[in-house]
Amino acid sequence: MPFDCKQSVTERTRVLAAISSLWLLLVLAMPGSALAVPSFARQTGQNCVACHAGGQFPELTPYGRLFKLTGYTIGARAVPLSVMGVMSYARVRDTTKTDDRTVDFQKNNSLMFATGSVFLAGKVTDNIGAFVQVTYDNYSSQTVGPNGELGRFQGHSQADNMDFRYADRFVDANRDLIVGLSANNNPTVVDPWNSAAAWMQYVPGATPTSHQFVDGPYPEFGAGGNIAGASAYGYWNKTVYAELGLYRSANRGLSFMSAGIADINKTKLGGTNPYWRFAYTREWGAHNIMVGTSGMVAHVFDGGSDTSDPRNRGRVKNTGFDGQYQYLLDPHSVTAQASFMRQTQNYSANTMAAAAPPYFLSDGVTPISAANPSDTTNALRAKLSYVYQAKYGGSVSYFAVRGTTNTLNQTSGFDSTGLITSTDPNGTGIESARVAGNLSGNPATRGFNYEGFWTPVQYVRLGMQYTAYNKFNGASNNYDGFGRNAKDNNTLRFYIWAAY
Amino acid sequence: MRATAISAALLVAMVGAGCSNIERSRNLADPAVPGRVLALQVCSTCHGVDGNSVSPNFPRLAGQTEPYLIEQLTSFRSRGRADPAGFVYMWGLSKNLTDEQIKGLASYFAAQRPGAILYPSGNAALVDKGKALYDGGLPAKNIPPCAVCHGGDGQGNAQYPRVASQHADYLVKQLGAFQRAANRPDGGVMKNITHDLSGEDIAAIAAYAESLGFK
Repeated sequence: MPFDCKQSVTERTRVLAAISSLWLLLVLAMPGSALAVPSFARQTGQNCVACHAGGQFPELTPYGRLFKLTGYTIGARAVPLSVMGVMSYARVRDTTKTDDRTVDFQKNNSLMFATGSVFLAGKVTDNIGAFVQVTYDNYSSQTVGPNGELGRFQGHSQADNMDFRYADRFVDANRDLIVGLSANNNPTVVDPWNSAAAWMQYVPGATPTSHQFVDGPYPEFGAGGNIAGASAYGYWNKTVYAELGLYRSANRGLSFMSAGIADINKTKLGGTNPYWRFAYTREWGAHNIMVGTSGMVAHVFDGGSDTSDPRNRGRVKNTGFDGQYQYLLDPHSVTAQASFMRQTQNYSANTMAAAAPPYFLSDGVTPISAANPSDTTNALRAKLSYVYQAKYGGSVSYFAVRGTTNTLNQTSGFDSTGLITSTDPNGTGIESARVAGNLSGNPATRGFNYEGFWTPVQYVRLGMQYTAYNKFNGASNNYDGFGRNAKDNNTLRFYIWAAY
Repeated sequence: MRATAISAALLVAMVGAGCSNIERSRNLADPAVPGRVLALQVCSTCHGVDGNSVSPNFPRLAGQTEPYLIEQLTSFRSRGRADPAGFVYMWGLSKNLTDEQIKGLASYFAAQRPGAILYPSGNAALVDKGKALYDGGLPAKNIPPCAVCHGGDGQGNAQYPRVASQHADYLVKQLGAFQRAANRPDGGVMKNITHDLSGEDIAAIAAYAESLGFK
């Protein structure tokens, strides 16, 4: 047995990293085989490329989208088990402008086994299928010593995307109608396009803070994931898609949808919250295109708050527009996604009642303005990728977040002696945050992510990413009040991503 | 309480409705599912409900000769045909098909009416050159006219497939497979025929065949 309860977590991590490295080496050394494929591919017997554009899971081809829309039921029932793992390395451009490198840039410059998932996914009956993911985070938390010193990392597993489907397809010479129902735990998990929030970030991130700047922000829904929802959808003549969903907190019988997440970190919703999604698609030659819109209105309780008190409940409205284009003709795959999400957030009454950001202007006398009860944020993401022979590929991605300024979101500012400090030398009780701090109270963040990758065999992908910022937390320069600039957060990342 | 009741109802509905209808099955390993149903539920996804595939990545099957379709599906099932696209897309799908299902699939697509290619790839000069090669062959290199086996209108004949209104990109890839690889053993005769064709010859023949309509 590789693991022994008496071993320390560090030792277990090292052993796990060693095993995964060995396994990855074995996998790379094996000749490519059509038999070695994750569970959907075992079900259909096809190579990954049949469903995944250019082989870049999770991006879907038109056939892959139809596979998902018909409830993962194409093919013969197979053992529905797969696993995936990610080894990751990140190096942040500047690790000097910090109070503590071991806090702000954990595992910097260090290759580690970051995360893995187990999937139960595939066909149950001719009309029922499922996609269930449980994810292990190898760096989920750190022990804290009696003097606040950070100790060993500890791993933890939790429920990830879950989608239980019923689907049917009515197709003949005159019409093609796919209809389905889904019980799922995340708005857009049901969506088959990769401009949808749940599917736009391809390479899983890693928890250690060296990875906090990797790949930039993505448009997403304010309700978050690990909630419980029921969705109904239809796709007519491969042209019009419509989906409506209702989401609630994952409570009682549905609590497995947020299993493994500490209660204080679970998303708690008030009542039943609607989600909608419409899309129009066309195919011509080797091209296909989708334009669509989506939205949600959610009442969200403040994290860890008492959900019997409506004063702890805020409201988030999301409206998005997205599009996807693909040109798929062997040996070329060209894909592009663009997603724009506007979010309006009304903070809870209790958040506003407690909102008294402590900072002053630089004179140390004039207090900053009061917090606003609402904020609007616009998030844009556009990505273009090319893959040759489903082996050699790269992508360029642009991200831009803009939004209203609100002192509520300020985590850095002048104290009553006119100082910005994280150590409070004058005993004012007012401190600012370095590295992750926000001096402006504005969320503006902008930059590019460049990626190159190699898929030597269809189930292993090695890649490098470089994320370059020209704006972060509202400013290009000195965004945290301590002289940290947006480009100091530029990060080089290397990953090995394997699935079986 | 209400949420649990809703989800329980959803689950019951799902399981209850899971008693599947063979007329809308996507099960590729159930011999009871007719070939016609598989054609509609699975094959149409790439090849089109009427066999007129939109993407050149997937060949048009509409109006293809039934013996040729049977031979290709059988060849995919046995892994005899191993051209890259065939291997990637078709091996898995065909591995559990019965002879009867293969016959059903072949007769479904053979009965479909071929449509014109909406976005032809060749220009007029290339198509003209292709016609000359298709009808006249290359006597200097002992290459017979394609028309001899594939028909004057590209309509095919028994085991010699229809090539009229087939995606030119697909024809180029298959002619290349015959010429340079050994992954289509059923087309042994094509190896000699394509041996001395140049890249431009192949492109021209493919462009011409693509331009042929339904006769």
